[in-house]
Amino acid sequence: MTALATAAAPDTRPGGLLRAVGRTHRTALVLSLLALAAAAVALIWLHSLGDEARAGMSACSTPPTAGLPSCAAVDAITADETYRNGIFGLATALSWVMFPVAAWAGGALIGRELENGTAQLAWTQSVTPVRWLAVKLAAPAALLTVGTGGLLLLNDWARGDGNPNLVGDWYYPDTFVSTGPVAVAYALAGLALGALAGLVWRRALPATGVSLAASLVLHGVMERYRENLWPAVTRTEAGALELPRSAFQVAWSDVPRGGVPLTRATFHPESHFWPLQYVETGLLLAVAGTATAAAFLLLARRLP
Amino acid sequence: MTDTAIEAAGLGRRFRRRRGPALDGCAFRLPAGSVCALTGPNGAGKSTLLALAAGLLRPTEGTITVLGTTPAAARERLAHVAQNKPLHPQLTVAGTLRLGRDLNPRRWDARAAERIVAEGDLDPDTKIRALSGGQRTRVALALALGKRPELLLLDEPMADLDPLARHQLTATLMADAADRGTTVVMSSHVVAELEGSCDHLLLLGSGRVRLAGPLDDLLAAHTLVTGRAGDALDPHTVVESRTTGRQLTAMVRPAGPLGDVLQGDRPSLEEVVLAHLRSPDAPPLLLDAREAAV
Repeated sequence: MTALATAAAPDTRPGGLLRAVGRTHRTALVLSLLALAAAAVALIWLHSLGDEARAGMSACSTPPTAGLPSCAAVDAITADETYRNGIFGLATALSWVMFPVAAWAGGALIGRELENGTAQLAWTQSVTPVRWLAVKLAAPAALLTVGTGGLLLLNDWARGDGNPNLVGDWYYPDTFVSTGPVAVAYALAGLALGALAGLVWRRALPATGVSLAASLVLHGVMERYRENLWPAVTRTEAGALELPRSAFQVAWSDVPRGGVPLTRATFHPESHFWPLQYVETGLLLAVAGTATAAAFLLLARRLP
Repeated sequence: MTDTAIEAAGLGRRFRRRRGPALDGCAFRLPAGSVCALTGPNGAGKSTLLALAAGLLRPTEGTITVLGTTPAAARERLAHVAQNKPLHPQLTVAGTLRLGRDLNPRRWDARAAERIVAEGDLDPDTKIRALSGGQRTRVALALALGKRPELLLLDEPMADLDPLARHQLTATLMADAADRGTTVVMSSHVVAELEGSCDHLLLLGSGRVRLAGPLDDLLAAHTLVTGRAGDALDPHTVVESRTTGRQLTAMVRPAGPLGDVLQGDRPSLEEVVLAHLRSPDAPPLLLDAREAAV
């Protein structure tokens, strides 16, 4: 018995369980790979459209002068409109990855399996429940990290020089989420919240609803309080104050003091992009980690 | 190796605090290699007991030992077929068997599993969702037997099968169990279904063990007596007694010779089980349990 177990030890790698998870969630795997391919193709196409789009935004004069093209010629270029719509659409899609992921994780990945007993079927094979959950979470997490991360890089490349007139200002909610590591953290938080909801409710439909609702709340709270995640800069000046376009304005007040108009502006300069990204990513990963730990704890407590 | 397949002591399981327990103070011992019929009315706790033995539930009180260890540690050596025969509907029959191979890398016997599927004339490329209830049962049993378990826990295994398939699958199960010394626990509320194939009986009633032990010993311990109304049944333990007109019929556990007045008859399994189900207050009879709570 011992000799047999030792001889067969190489077979206990998680390969079998991984194959089993891939096989039982093949539809989700195929759909997510198709979505990934579609987004990648769209971004490559948008990149190829970039130069023409930027030409459509250039300064012009009527009649044309030596340095500037004619305004009629610039107006005739429609690529900038297409490019802008495409970039905004993909930014929204990237920042919403969390919602389908959470719904799927709560419903199909965990909730439905507990509801119809296929989870219990797996646990009475030679697989411990803890390893079952670990592989079920690790496989989609790896896929989401690589997929979303790859799309982030492609998105950055497709956005070219980042002209805010074409691709939006850095602090637009969708733009902010879709241009930094926070996009990956959102997807992972969605996965973890979905898994936890699935384990708590143990039924597909309520788990889908709850994980979707939790993700919407998390996404909304983060968007609302993003400006507080890093200390903002305050500038006070007498008279009129003009902030640069790249400033993410938090508060604005005109206080006349001693007859002199005084303007106080609180804002995030563009250099705060990375600190804000890191803090938000950290918070989301903390949510994901807590939800994952709670899911494992719940599973371990329920089973002998 | 141990000679005990399942041993329970004071085993209890409660699902909601307000509701009564599904299982309460169960104590029994099932020797390895036996084929045990687990029976009882609906809601008696049969499925709960099987889920506890399979390590799918944590007991709220008491202990259950399976194959000499905890159910969780014996996971690899036992198989459980739940009442609703859960399978992935989107997989094909062959895909389901591949799942068994992937999840049991050290034990899988593809030939045994494929043979059971082939006996039912199932096309390996059919999706599980396209199968009938009985065909699903066959695939679920193939998955369970392909694992080569030492303990096979079957929850209402034959309920969906037509008589021919039932007969054939029971024969396959029993041949396999006899060949490999597998312990089988099979639940059913149809007693007749179990009588031919089992050598052990566990009767549950409202969460408690009512009868436990080898089938022959349990049958031998009971006598169906007839006499005249008013005849004393002392000192025998009365399970159930009925008076029809001037005739008395009773199921007793004789404490000694019946005497001249009463006429004794050997009861069938069904009669013994029904007598216990009709009189829930009859004392339990637990044979060969080490910690029998008599």
